[in-house]
Amino acid sequence: MSTATAPIPAEPPPFSPGRIARAIAAFSGLPGQIIKLAFLAATNGLAVWAAYVLADRKHWVALPILIAATAAIDIVYLAPRKWTLPLKFLVPGTIFLLAFQIVPIVYTIEVAFSNYSTGHVIGKADAIKAIQVNSLQPPANGRQFEIAPARDASGKLVLILHDDASGAVYVGTNKALTPLAKADVTISKDTGQPTAAKGYTLIKGAELFAMDAQLKAFNIPTRGGSAIQTQGVSQAVELQPTLRYDKAKDQFVRISDGVVFKDNGQGSFVSSVNPKDELEPGWKTYTGLHNFGKLANNPLYRTPFLKVFVWTFAFATLTVLLSFAIGLFVAIALNKKGLRFQRLYRSVLVVPWAMPGFLSLLIWAGLLNDSFGVVNNKILSHFGFTVPWLFDANWAKVSVILVSVWLTTPYFFLVSLGALQSIPEELTEAARVDGGGAWGIFRRVTLPLLLIAVGPLLIASFAFNFNNFNNIYLLTGGGPYTGSSSIAGSTDILISYTYKLAIATGKGQDYGLASAVAIIIFFIVATISGTAFFRSKALENVN
Amino acid sequence: MQNSLKRTWALLGVVAAISAIAASSAGASHKAGPTITIWTDSDRAAAVTKVANDWAATSGATIKVVTKQFGDIRDNLGTVAAADAPDVITAAHDWTGQLAANGLVEPIFLSSAVKANFPSYTLNAFSYGTAVKKLYGVPAAVENIGLVVNTKLAKVPTSFSQLETEALAVKKSKHQTFGIAVQQGSGGDAYHMYPFFSGLGGYIFGTNKAGNLDPSDIGVANPTFLKNAHLIDKWNKEGLISSKVDGSAAQNAFLKGQSAFWITGPWNSDTLKKSGLSFKIIQVPAIAKPSVPFLGVQGFMVTKFASVHGVDAAAKDLVTSFMAGAGPQTTLAAANGRPPANIKAKSSDPVLAQFSNASKGGVPMPNIPQMSSVWGDLGQAWVRSTKGAGAMTAAKSFKAAARSIAAKIG
Repeated sequence: MSTATAPIPAEPPPFSPGRIARAIAAFSGLPGQIIKLAFLAATNGLAVWAAYVLADRKHWVALPILIAATAAIDIVYLAPRKWTLPLKFLVPGTIFLLAFQIVPIVYTIEVAFSNYSTGHVIGKADAIKAIQVNSLQPPANGRQFEIAPARDASGKLVLILHDDASGAVYVGTNKALTPLAKADVTISKDTGQPTAAKGYTLIKGAELFAMDAQLKAFNIPTRGGSAIQTQGVSQAVELQPTLRYDKAKDQFVRISDGVVFKDNGQGSFVSSVNPKDELEPGWKTYTGLHNFGKLANNPLYRTPFLKVFVWTFAFATLTVLLSFAIGLFVAIALNKKGLRFQRLYRSVLVVPWAMPGFLSLLIWAGLLNDSFGVVNNKILSHFGFTVPWLFDANWAKVSVILVSVWLTTPYFFLVSLGALQSIPEELTEAARVDGGGAWGIFRRVTLPLLLIAVGPLLIASFAFNFNNFNNIYLLTGGGPYTGSSSIAGSTDILISYTYKLAIATGKGQDYGLASAVAIIIFFIVATISGTAFFRSKALENVN
Repeated sequence: MQNSLKRTWALLGVVAAISAIAASSAGASHKAGPTITIWTDSDRAAAVTKVANDWAATSGATIKVVTKQFGDIRDNLGTVAAADAPDVITAAHDWTGQLAANGLVEPIFLSSAVKANFPSYTLNAFSYGTAVKKLYGVPAAVENIGLVVNTKLAKVPTSFSQLETEALAVKKSKHQTFGIAVQQGSGGDAYHMYPFFSGLGGYIFGTNKAGNLDPSDIGVANPTFLKNAHLIDKWNKEGLISSKVDGSAAQNAFLKGQSAFWITGPWNSDTLKKSGLSFKIIQVPAIAKPSVPFLGVQGFMVTKFASVHGVDAAAKDLVTSFMAGAGPQTTLAAANGRPPANIKAKSSDPVLAQFSNASKGGVPMPNIPQMSSVWGDLGQAWVRSTKGAGAMTAAKSFKAAARSIAAKIG
C-alpha cells in the first residue's frame, strides 16, 4: 500500500499500542480495585433499595430473583479471577439483553394474547367493584346533603346532615336517619355545612381525613333499596343501585327488568338480550388467538394489511438499495487519490446523518409542502410546474423514499469509504495488469469484497427501515388517504399502521391487536433478515 | 488461594456495609398523615401546588405534585403501579369516556350551590355513562376556537356571505391561494374545521333517550349536511379554504397580513397580542346553521387509586369543595392562559374574553372513547374535498368518511 493514502474524515490520533496498554495498566492495581468496589457498592445499594420497594409492594416473585441476581453479580466480580473470568465479560451484556430485549418481547407476547384495550385495563375484581359504583343512581326525588362527621355522646361515628333543598337537619347512623331540631344545629351560610350540633362533637382536620375507609363504608339506609352515602368529607348523596351482583353465578342482574349480564369470556359482562349491551368497565383477561383471528377475519384490518405489507417491503428495499448505490458511488468518487478539498466534501456529505432525524424530517415536511414549500414555491414554479409532493398517493411515496434516501445515504457513504480503503490495492492493480476494465474490476473484484463487509449492514439497515416509524409519521403521517378507510394511508408502513390500529379504531387504544401485529412484523423481519444472512454467508464462502 | 479468599470476604464486608447505609436511608422516607398525589402538566404545576397546599393548610394533608406531559397523564394512569398512582389528575374532558370505561376514575358529586357556578355544558362535558350518566370531573378552564379578523384589512363580517366576499377580496388583492386561514395539512384537522362542519348541519354523535352520546348514530353525513355540502365544493373552487394550509402556513398568512381571517384558539392569544395587528375575535357567522366551535374543558378528576391509598374522602374534598371555588379557579385557569370555568371567576384578559364570547352555543368535543375512530376520517373528508384541483366532491367524501367511521366503531 502506498503511503499517500487519503486520510478518513475524523482521523484518529496516530495509533500506538503502547498507549492502550498503559491505559489498561492504569486501571489494574489499586485504582481499578477502588472503581470496581464503587460500582459494586452502587449496584448493591440500588438492589437493596429495589428490594425494599418490591417487599413494600409484595412482589414475592421478583424479590428472590433480585436477591439471587445481585448475589450472583457480587460473587462473579469478587471471587478469585480464574473461576469467573469469562462471566465477568458475559454478565453485563446478559443483564442488558434481558432488560431491554427479552422483557419487552415477553410483555408484547403477553399483551398480544390478551384483550388489553380501552375498557379492559383493570382486573376483574376491581371491575366488578367499579360496575357496582357506576350503577348507583339517585332515586326519584333523591336528596343531597351537606354533612359533618361527628361523634355522639358514646364516641360512636355519626353524620350530621343538612338537606340542600328543604333545609332540614338530621343525624345519621349506620342504621337510620333521624331528624334533629333546626335550633340545635348551626349551619354555615357560605357552604351550607353544619358547623356545630348540640350533643355531638364534630370531627375535624387530620383526624377526619384519617377516617377514609370508615366514611366510605358509612351507609344510612333510607326507603326502598336506597342509602345515603358519603362523597368526600362534606357531601352525602342518596343513591339506589340499578344492578345487583350475584356472586354465586358470577353475573349482574338489572333490577328494573331482571335482564342478566353474563361474563362473555372476553372480559365483559354482556346482556343476554342484546350482545352489544355490555357493562363498563370490563377487565383485562387472556383471549387466546382472538386478536390474530380479528386480523384474519375482519376485512377492515385484513384488506389494508396486504397493501401495507407490499409497500413496506418496497419502501425498505428501495431506501436501502438507493442509499447504498448513491453512497458507494460518492465514496468511490471521493476515494480518488489527489482530489482537492477531499476532507471538506466528506464532512459536508455526513451532515444529513449527523443532524437529528426528527429535525430533518420536520424541515423536509415544510420544504415539500405543496403550496408553500420551498421546493414547489421557489424552485419548481420557475420551471412552470409544481408537484403534489404530499397530497398525491404516488408522489407521497416518492417523497418518503427521497427523504429516507437523503437520511440514509451518508451512512452507506461512510461505511463504503471505510470498506473501500480496506481492500488491498494489490488486488485491483493485479486485475488491471491482467487487462481488466474499470467496470469489470469494480464488478468482479471491488464489489464482491465490499459486500462481505457491507452485506450485514445492508440487512440491518433493511430491518431498521422496515420499522422506520419516524420517517413516515413525521413526513406524511401515513397519508394521503385514498379510498374510504383512514386506517391505512398510501404511505403507511406496517409499524405506523399498527400504531393507528392501536389508537384510532374502535374505542381507541387497542394494545392487544397492535401487539398481535407487532409479533407478525417480528416474524416477517426475522424471516427476511435470516434468509439474507445465510445468503451473504454463502457469498463469503465463494471468496 | 487462601489469600484471595480472605480478600473476597473482606470486600464482601465492605459492600455489605455500604448496602446497609443505602437501606437505612431508603426506609426513612415514610411520613405520617394523608398524602395526596396529584398529576398535572408543567404549565399548571405551580398553580396546582399552590392551590392544593392552600387546601392542605386547613386539612393537615401532605401534597405531592408530579409533573407529566399532558397526554401522558391519561396514558400512564392505566399502567402505573398502585403505589405510585395519583389520587387526583388534571384532565381534559374528552378523556372522560376512556378513563371511566377503563374504571380508572371515580364518580363525584357536586352540591347544588357549587353546580350553580358552572355553565351546564362544562359539567355535561365531564359526564359519562352508557347506562347511568355520572360526573367524573370538576371543570377548571374552558377553551374554544374563534374567527380572528384583521380589522385593518377587512370589516368584521355579520353574515357568512359577507365573510366569503371579504376573504376572497383580500385573497385576490394579496395574490394568495386561500381566503380564510384555517389549518388542515395532509393529516387533516377536524377540530379547526368544526365551525364549518356544524354550520353546514353536521354533527358527530347523536344522543340516545338517556341523554348519552350514541356511537351508533353518526351524523358526519346526515341528510341536512349532505344537502348543504355543495357549498364546500364551491369554497374549494373559489379558494375560500384549502387543505394545503397547515398550522404554520395559516399563522404566517394572518400575521403577515396576507389573510384577513384566522381560525385559532386562546393558545395563540400571546402571539396575537405581540403581533401589533388590530383584530377582533368573533364566532364564525352562521352558514345554514350556527357555526359553533368545539368546546374543550379541562379540570380535575379523582382516580380509583385514592380509595386504595385511603385518601378518597380527602381527594374528593380537595376537588369538589376547594378547587371548584372561584379563587382557586382563577389561579388554575390563569396558569394555562385559559378563561376559568367557574362563572364567578371571570378572567381579566381582554383577548381571552373575546375567545369566550365566540363559544356561544358550542358543542363539547364528544367524550366517549369511540371518538378516537372519528378524528382521522373526519379530517380526511375535509382534506379530500378542499385540496383544490382534483378534489373529491364533498358529498362523496363525507359519505365515505361516515362509512369508514361506522366500520371502525364496529
